[in-house]
Amino acid sequence: MLYPDTVEAEVLVHKPWFVATMFAVILAVFLAFNLTGTTMGELMRPVIGDPLQSGLYGRFAVAFVVAVIFSLNVVLIGFAPLKVQIAIVWFELLMLFLAFFETFHLSRPFIWEKLPFLITQGAVTTLYVSAISIVIASVIAILGAVAKLSTNGFAYAIASFYTSFFRGLPLLMQVYLIYLGLPQLGFVIDAVPAGILALSLCYGAYMTEIFRSGIQSIDRGQWEASRAIGFGFGITIRRIILPQALPVIIPPTGNQFISMLKDSSLVSVIGVWELMFLARTLGQKTFQHMEMLISTALIYWIMSICLELIQSRIERHYARSKVR
Amino acid sequence: MRHLTRLTALAASLAFTLSALPANAGAVLDRVLAAKTLKVATDANWAPQSFMNDKNELDGFDVDVAKDIGKRLGVSVEFVTPGWDIITAGNWSGRWDMHVGSMTPTKARAEIFDFPGIYYYTPAAVAVHKDSKATTLADLNDKTIGTTATSTFEAYAKQELTLDAAGAPAFKYEFKPKEVKSYSNSTTAFDDLRLGDGTRLDAVVSSLPSIKDAEKAGYPIEQLGEPVFYEPLAVATEHGDAEFDAKISEAVKGMQSDGTLSKLSVKWYGVDYTVVK
Repeated sequence: MLYPDTVEAEVLVHKPWFVATMFAVILAVFLAFNLTGTTMGELMRPVIGDPLQSGLYGRFAVAFVVAVIFSLNVVLIGFAPLKVQIAIVWFELLMLFLAFFETFHLSRPFIWEKLPFLITQGAVTTLYVSAISIVIASVIAILGAVAKLSTNGFAYAIASFYTSFFRGLPLLMQVYLIYLGLPQLGFVIDAVPAGILALSLCYGAYMTEIFRSGIQSIDRGQWEASRAIGFGFGITIRRIILPQALPVIIPPTGNQFISMLKDSSLVSVIGVWELMFLARTLGQKTFQHMEMLISTALIYWIMSICLELIQSRIERHYARSKVR
Repeated sequence: MRHLTRLTALAASLAFTLSALPANAGAVLDRVLAAKTLKVATDANWAPQSFMNDKNELDGFDVDVAKDIGKRLGVSVEFVTPGWDIITAGNWSGRWDMHVGSMTPTKARAEIFDFPGIYYYTPAAVAVHKDSKATTLADLNDKTIGTTATSTFEAYAKQELTLDAAGAPAFKYEFKPKEVKSYSNSTTAFDDLRLGDGTRLDAVVSSLPSIKDAEKAGYPIEQLGEPVFYEPLAVATEHGDAEFDAKISEAVKGMQSDGTLSKLSVKWYGVDYTVVK
C-alpha cells in the first residue's frame, strides 16, 4: 500500500457512475464480437432460441448478460474484506486462464506421461544450474560492489569494465561466446559449466550495481558516526551499513533470482537438457509441442511463485524496524 | 611498478596458453578407443532421424546408424545434443568425436569437416497448405517460403545450394521466392504454415519424411509436385584424423553391403532411402 490512511471513503466500485461506465464499456466490447456461436450462446438457448439464427437480438442478449454478470461480480467483490478480495480475483483470473488453455484441446494423458521426466530431468537441471549461478553471482556482486566503491583505480577500472561489458551484451550471446570462444583459448568446458559461467557473469554484473546502489543509499552520516566511535572499515560495513542496506538490496535481488530462473532457459541452445530444451524436444515426434510448452510454462511459473514467497518472507523479516 | 610486473606475467601466461592450442592429429581414434566411448553429436529435434521417444531417450534413424557405427568400432556410443548451428560452426575441440545428424556434404562445409561416409539420400520437397491455389512449383514464384536456418533447404530456397558430393543427383531451381523465412527447426515452420495459406507462409521447403510426418500428425499441409532435390547425407568429422575417418568409412560401407542400412531405412521411413532413385 502506498499510504494507508484512516479516511473513510466510499468504495470506488460501488459508486453509481463507476458501475454504469463499467457496464457500458463491457456491453460495448462484447457487442463488438459475435459470441452467439460459442458456449455462451448455447447457454442462452432458452432465451434467444437457436443461437446461430438469433441475429442482432441474440448478440445483444449475450453481451447484456455478460455485462450484468461481470458488473455484479465486481460490485459483490467490493463488499468483501481486502484479503478475500485478493483471493477471489486471483481465483477468477486463474480460472479464466485455465479455460483459455482448455480451448487448445491438449492431450492430458500425454502431459501426465511426460510430467515426471520434465520434473526429474528438466526442472532439476534448471534448478541446480540457476542455484549455482545465483551463489556465484552473489559473490561476484559483493566483490564488484566493494571494488566499484573503492578508491583503488585498478579495482574500480576492472569492476566498471566488467559491469559495462557483461551488462552490455545479450545473455544469449554471452552463452555462445563462452561455449564457443573459450575452447579457442585452450579451455574446453562442457555445456553445463559454460552455461553456469555465462549466467553467473551476467547476473553478477547486474547485481554488482544493485549492491553498490544499496550501500550508497546509506547516509554518509552513518559512516561518520561509526568512524567517530572508532569503528574500523570492516565492522562499519558489517554492523552499520549492510544491515541498513539489505532492505534496499533485497527486492531487486529477488527480482534477479526470479529472472535468473527463467533466463537459465537460454543454456538450452548449447544442448543442456533443462526444462526449455525438453519443452522443445519431447513433443516433437508426435507434434504435441503445445502440450509440452504449456506444462513447462506452468512449471516455471510455480517455481517463480515459490521464489516470490521466499522473497516476501525475507522482506518482512527486514521490515521489522518499520512496523509500528 | 609491481602492478606492471604482474600484468606482464599475466600476458605471458596468456600467450603461452594461446600457443599451446590442442592439436588433434590422429588423436581422435586413440581417444575413442582409450575411452571405449564414441561421443556423437546429433539433433534432438529432427524426427524421425533423431528425437526423444516414449521412454525419453534419443531414438531414430540417425541414432540407430550412430549406434551401429559404434558397434562396428567396438565401443559404446554416447550422445550429446548441442544446437545445429553450434555443430556446424566447427571447432568441436574434442567435445564430441563425430556428428551423425543427416548433414549434407557441401563445399563450404568441407572446408571444416570431413565426410567419411554418405549413409542415405533424402528427397527434399515443398509443402503447401491444403487451401493453397498453387498447382505447380512455379506458382511459388514471389511467395514467402519457410525453411530451417543454415540448412540445405534454406540454401535451395535462396538459390545458393551447392551439392558437390559424389553421387548427388543434378537439380534445378523450380521457383524464386520473394522472401525466405528461416526457423530454428522445421516444426516451427510447419506451425506457421498450418495457420492458413499465406497467413505467414505460402510454402515450406523441408525433407519429404518430415513433411509426411507432419501430414500424419494432422497438419493441414500437402506435398507440392515432385521432390526438388536429393540430398546426400553423411557422417561428419573434423579434419585431422585420417585413421578415424577410414574406420568410419569402413563401418558405413559394411552397413551398406550387409543390408543393415537398408533395413534401418525401411524401419524408420518405410522406404529404402539409402540408394538414389
